[in-house]
Amino acid sequence: MRVSIRVVAAIVSLGVAMSAAADTTLRIFTGGQQRPDVMRKIADEYQKKNPGVKIEVEVGGATSEAQQQYLSTVLSSKDSVLDVILIDVIRPAQWAAQGWAEPLDAYLGADKQKILSQYLKAYVDADQVNGKLIALPYFADSQFLYYRKDLLEKYKRPVPKTWDEMMDTAKIVMDGEKNSNLQGFTTAGSPIEGTVCTYLVPLWGAGGELTKDGKLNLDAASSREPFQLYGRMKQSGVLPKNIAEIPTDRIRIDMQAGNLIFGMTWSYAWNRLENDPDSKVKGKIGVTMLPHDPGGKSATCIGGWQLAVSAFSKNKAEAVKFARWLSTPEVSKMQAIMASHMPVFPGVFKDPEVLKANPWFADALPVVEGAKARPVSAQYPQVSDVIRSNMNAYLAGTKTTDVALGDMKSRLTPLFK
Amino acid sequence: MNFTRKTVVWFSALVVVVNGFFPAVWILLTSLKTETELLQVPITYLPLAPTLDNYVLAFTAQPILRFMWNSVVVAGVSTALCVFVSALAAYALTRLRMPHRNLIMSLLLAVAMFPLISLMVPLFKLMRELGLLNTYPALILPYTVLSMPICTLVMASFFQDIPPDLEAAAMIDGCSRVGALFKVVVPLSAPGVFTAAILSFVNAWDEFLLALTMMNRVSMRTLSVGITLYQGEFAFPWPLISAALIIAIVPICILIAIFQERVVGGLTAGGVKG
Amino acid sequence: MSTDAPKPRDLSERALGMLLLLPAALLLLLIVVYPIATLFWNSLHSVDQANPQAGELFVGIDNYTRAFADDRFWASTLHTVLYIAVTVPGSLLIGLGLALLANRPFRVKWPVRLGLLLPWALPLVFAGLIFRWFFEYKTGVVNDWLVALGMEPPQWLSDPTLAFWAICIAIIWKASSFMALMLLAGLQAIPRSLYEAAEVDGANTWQQFVEITLPMLRPAIFVALIFRTITAVQTFDIPYAMTGGGPGDATETLAMYIHKTTLDFLDFGYGSALAALMFVISMVATSGYLRYTRRSAARSEE
Repeated sequence: MRVSIRVVAAIVSLGVAMSAAADTTLRIFTGGQQRPDVMRKIADEYQKKNPGVKIEVEVGGATSEAQQQYLSTVLSSKDSVLDVILIDVIRPAQWAAQGWAEPLDAYLGADKQKILSQYLKAYVDADQVNGKLIALPYFADSQFLYYRKDLLEKYKRPVPKTWDEMMDTAKIVMDGEKNSNLQGFTTAGSPIEGTVCTYLVPLWGAGGELTKDGKLNLDAASSREPFQLYGRMKQSGVLPKNIAEIPTDRIRIDMQAGNLIFGMTWSYAWNRLENDPDSKVKGKIGVTMLPHDPGGKSATCIGGWQLAVSAFSKNKAEAVKFARWLSTPEVSKMQAIMASHMPVFPGVFKDPEVLKANPWFADALPVVEGAKARPVSAQYPQVSDVIRSNMNAYLAGTKTTDVALGDMKSRLTPLFK
Repeated sequence: MNFTRKTVVWFSALVVVVNGFFPAVWILLTSLKTETELLQVPITYLPLAPTLDNYVLAFTAQPILRFMWNSVVVAGVSTALCVFVSALAAYALTRLRMPHRNLIMSLLLAVAMFPLISLMVPLFKLMRELGLLNTYPALILPYTVLSMPICTLVMASFFQDIPPDLEAAAMIDGCSRVGALFKVVVPLSAPGVFTAAILSFVNAWDEFLLALTMMNRVSMRTLSVGITLYQGEFAFPWPLISAALIIAIVPICILIAIFQERVVGGLTAGGVKG
Repeated sequence: MSTDAPKPRDLSERALGMLLLLPAALLLLLIVVYPIATLFWNSLHSVDQANPQAGELFVGIDNYTRAFADDRFWASTLHTVLYIAVTVPGSLLIGLGLALLANRPFRVKWPVRLGLLLPWALPLVFAGLIFRWFFEYKTGVVNDWLVALGMEPPQWLSDPTLAFWAICIAIIWKASSFMALMLLAGLQAIPRSLYEAAEVDGANTWQQFVEITLPMLRPAIFVALIFRTITAVQTFDIPYAMTGGGPGDATETLAMYIHKTTLDFLDFGYGSALAALMFVISMVATSGYLRYTRRSAARSEE
């Protein structure tokens, strides 16, 4: 049987072409804090299910800002080195404006509404900018009130619902314990991103809003509420003197060392407080919704991370496929068990295996469902900078409420035209 | 008389040593503590229950040895290049009759004055266009330039002090001008060369911003950037980072201890003249 | 020294000189001149941050006029100038002190030398973080000692003035070892005979210091000062690590503002203009030295 050379050549070249096309390498970028080790395990699962696709996990800066700065440099040069990027929930608006994220609407096609309806609404809202889907939710997060349930029991105080209740309880416990190292309440106070939430949470708890119909709402009486609240806390000694130096992790650390009664922080703290070998508060911690003003409703800041596909990726279709797989209930469950990442699917919160690893998720679901987003703006870094530096200045005592609000008004107005 | 002299000597030594060592000692002690112990008030100085866990974690959580290797390569090569190029430039500016010597010197200084921060974005774009990102040259080239002004100045001041007849003698023996540079001038200025080398090395070792931007692949990161990777969005694990810092400092200390005779001795031989 | 060398020899010397300068020149062109040119070009353009896709517009000197009207630019420049005013002389004084102390006949030399060089070898970023830890309110070493002395511990990093001084202390600690190194060299180059002669003449230690040590150290002082000043204008790492610019913007330097504008706000045009202005400030600060070198070079050419 004679086989023509041409046929052989055709078969060989087809084989070569097929194997070349089959071996795609995708690079996913994640921050040092978002458990790259867990991401690696999850990526290995995907590789098993999709032979011919190789996933490389690139680990970036430690903080949201550090990652953003690095990504800005790379994406401003339209570099194609990254395919899927994990971004903070506050970034989509800016990414859409800069054209860094590939809109995913076309890829989801007719299934788009069905897919989006599975997620927690807050993330669907956060990830769509001007009608375009910029990213898919990966894991959820929000701020909670952590408290020492053993101390509350000892002094027969209920779990506080309002800020004033919390302050009173803190004072009673502090007076009773007579421990100069025991602090009443801390939240983020140094000029970092978390301090934006420090301002917004009491504002929302008083029924206020930063923007109304897209316009700045700082003239309302409610905008003074956060300053007044922290002012009262400072005066009564509930807030520590160096609140302006407190970064987010100090809250967890102080609570873990047994030096804090109430703390306002994110979901990651639970894992450390309960499982760290040297934690002094194992089994003594309760988690609940943040307090509000009387007549108001508890509000919390939404956090969490999203999956965006780089607009400059050379493998967009494959990247979108990978991102979609990462944003499914099965992966959400994997993350919840391996990393205590809160799911973006309401159903997964109730999964028995997930609850076994994180018993408090059952109570966390209503909190996350009601979580509110920080201001959505293409110029979010400037907005964040204004709010956090003024909150920080107020907490440090270098600005009064009026001066701080005045500065916020003058610098935010041009950003919210 | 001798007693007061001795006290003065010991006191002086103590001051200098304490001033230089106390943060290093502090980091060393911290690296042996646990995080919760660190946050105790009142603070402890000596660790209550010393542990080497942080060192184990430092080696396993990040490829710290790889980071060190990268730093060594980048700093080492850029130092060699910088010293070579600066020697040529210093020679041209001091031993040869060149027009506009002072203008060139001033230009060199002016270049040193440009804030590195602002050069970052254009440099990144340049390196990207040259396809050099995540390669050693992306850092070696800027680091060479970073230290060129000071290395040139230091070596120039040494070269100036060498009598011109020595080169003339070498050239009569059949050497070329450049040969004279390397066979006569440089060896006589060895202290100056050493000083320039160590200045350049430490500058490169220290550098953070550029290293952060040019090398995004973890395997290519340098030490100063790599250590910050232990940090997290919410967490700053001091004991862990301290352990990593000790691992990073120890080789440099050993290097300095070995070469300090040459460095300081070198600076003394020629004196640093304007 | 005007030797009557024949013309062809002159040319080849010049040509050789040019050739030897070529590697340096090429590197500078690539790594510095080209990016600087890009920078100046960028500073003449602006991108509408609310609508970045619209691209860059040529705006002439708008970015510069914006800077002059920008309070934060002036504030951060003022902070930078204050840092320079405190840390440059400060590190010189401390450095001089350390150098004088280190200039003794020790039997075992390496601990002292290592103590002198160690601060210099510690990367800047970590020095900043370590000092931030030292000045921490509850768990910092400084407050621990103050409490032991019976004083009220201040919130170092929450108070603008205290934070400024804390940052200065950190910078001076780091920079003084570089100064000490340069000055030690100068000190050891001063011949003992000068001091011996002065003693014979009846001069005391202070007089010897002022009449002999200082004048002989002048060149070393100048070299150290010039590089210290250039670095001081670009002060970034230590305040960034210690306070992040806080409280509010009270400790923000110009370099930090540029960093924020360029990498956080993505306002490349404005950031480039600020960088160009920082360059001007550098030049002003160091122009004195340049005049000195030209004068002394002219003198040595007689």
